[in-house]
Amino acid sequence: MGLIENLKSYSEGVQISDEKKKVFTSFMSKGFPTTKDEEWKYTSLKKIVTKEYTIENTGEIIDSSTVIKYSLGFENRIIFSDGKLIGSPNIKGVSINGFSNFESNTTDSVLQLNKALAQNGFTITVDKNTVLESPIEILFFTNTENNFSQYRNLISVGDNAEVKFVERIQTLNDSTSMVNNFTQIHCAKNTKVEYNKIQNNTPGSRLIDTVNVYQEQDSTCDINTLIFGGSFTRNNLNFEQNGSNCESNMNGVSILNDNQLADNHTFVDHKSAHCRSNEMYKGVYLGNSKGVFNGKIMVRPDAQKIDAFQSNNNLLLSDNSTIDSKPQLEIYADDVKCSHGCTIGQLDEKALFYMRSRGIGIEEAKAVLTYAFASEAIENISVEEVKLLAQKLLAQKLNVDLDFSL
Amino acid sequence: MLQIKNLKAGIEDNQILKGINLEVKAGEIHAIMGPNGSGKSTLSAVIAGNEDYEVEGGNINFNGKNLLELDPEERANNGVFLSFQYPVEIPGISVSNFIKTSITEKRKAQGLDPIPTKDLLKMMREKMELLSIKQGYLSRNMNEGFSGGEKKRNEIFQMAMLDPKLAILDETDSGLDIDALRIVANGVNKLRSADNATIIITHYQRLLDYIVPDFVHVLYNGRIVKSGGAELAHELEEKGYDWVTNEEDKKWA
Repeated sequence: MGLIENLKSYSEGVQISDEKKKVFTSFMSKGFPTTKDEEWKYTSLKKIVTKEYTIENTGEIIDSSTVIKYSLGFENRIIFSDGKLIGSPNIKGVSINGFSNFESNTTDSVLQLNKALAQNGFTITVDKNTVLESPIEILFFTNTENNFSQYRNLISVGDNAEVKFVERIQTLNDSTSMVNNFTQIHCAKNTKVEYNKIQNNTPGSRLIDTVNVYQEQDSTCDINTLIFGGSFTRNNLNFEQNGSNCESNMNGVSILNDNQLADNHTFVDHKSAHCRSNEMYKGVYLGNSKGVFNGKIMVRPDAQKIDAFQSNNNLLLSDNSTIDSKPQLEIYADDVKCSHGCTIGQLDEKALFYMRSRGIGIEEAKAVLTYAFASEAIENISVEEVKLLAQKLLAQKLNVDLDFSL
Repeated sequence: MLQIKNLKAGIEDNQILKGINLEVKAGEIHAIMGPNGSGKSTLSAVIAGNEDYEVEGGNINFNGKNLLELDPEERANNGVFLSFQYPVEIPGISVSNFIKTSITEKRKAQGLDPIPTKDLLKMMREKMELLSIKQGYLSRNMNEGFSGGEKKRNEIFQMAMLDPKLAILDETDSGLDIDALRIVANGVNKLRSADNATIIITHYQRLLDYIVPDFVHVLYNGRIVKSGGAELAHELEEKGYDWVTNEEDKKWA
């Protein structure tokens, strides 16, 4: 028995539409991706999906102290406990509801599984011209042991609206949990959207997270991903630009140790002219950790005057850590500016000595330099609380008592 | 304060320091001069604890402690400060953050709590004034894109903030124009007290017009070959290093 069998028997006991049944059959015929699949070449799901999971959530109640512990303290909080929406704020110009069926592109088997069987998630509609100062915080808690949960979320942001999100998925026990989270974001004309993902889950947790962003003209969408925790994290981030003057920004910081694996897969589909994309992913690897970065940029034939920038910088701080980094540029227009760069290195010895000569201990000096390395991506985050958390978690992860704020 | 006895050090098989003897007392300023390649920067690196250099013999005593047994950070926290000839650029860390970290670490080593940010910023402003450092400097990344003069001024700023017992200024005058030189020298003079000491490492006599040393030593081929008072620097400027080195070459020929 394994996850596939768990899912099969679960599917037999639930009422789903014929269309979903079809999608599920398609998933079952393909199964989970394997390393033979080009997009999963460096990231193996084998060990993860051969395990047993409970599929049905029991919907346990969580107390407010748990929420406070993991919240960054924003006023507007959407809270899920074992899939059940237990808290949702009233915000003027924003309607927040639970799970809804919506159309999505589902050629990928993981997304097919999500489409077929996900029953939980949120649906957020931001009215046009609504500008929210404070972010909407989304907290997904898992109580049930060895749980496999799926969320299916939709965000539609109306013309000229501006909104920020902070998302956290948190397991509340030591068991092995897995989440398949899918979020689809529609950015209408002239919108500004920032979505921050804090991935600092327990050592037993696994995550496959997919975000599909559809942008209309003059919209800007930032997705920031901070990976500190969890044993397995796969982030798929897909942008589709369907109008001129769109801007897509991605910032990622991964600080991994032990046997952690984090895979950031990004895809920017430049379908319109006069658009921009910027991606900056910084990875720090300790212990036996493993990083994967795959950044694909597609510039379609009519998408002239595109400015696309991609960088993936990595620090390998141990002998056994590894990184597989792969930029992929497909350019079919002739008047574009695309650049990409990938670096893999160690900490600068000269800088380490310089810091030590100022009284900073070697571990602290390493932490400061690591922070300096990651800071460029952290600085691009506009939500101060997220930035501070990133600094705090970085110090924690490197086992030093340092405060980078001044 | 500092006693260096028969110090021998080098990189790999190349011995650079071939038996240095030097004593520095509290309140004194020593200048170490010498032609290029004589071992001046090696001496400062070895005192600060740069692990690129291997100490082959001799010892360094600093206020009763065997300095050679201490890590670079322990030396710093015991009061040794090196103003680097080539300060390192650290993108991603602001000057204020860097200095806050080093002061916090120093206090931690002394068993003290961090200084409240407000007090630290006040202290930074005072020291910035002393060195005519402009506003906005604190939020710049450490040495990144700094001019040669700005880097050197930043070194002295850190020195002012850390208040060391022994400061070693390695070629601090190089890359400084005359105005910057005056400001830096003025800063060093103001920081001088009966409790601290300074070693100035320099190729030229220029800086010594502004910071008058109590002793001048000439380093050549890894040895101190001549020592004297402030007047020795003037004599060297006049006669050139050949005056000392020719004599020395004859002795070892």
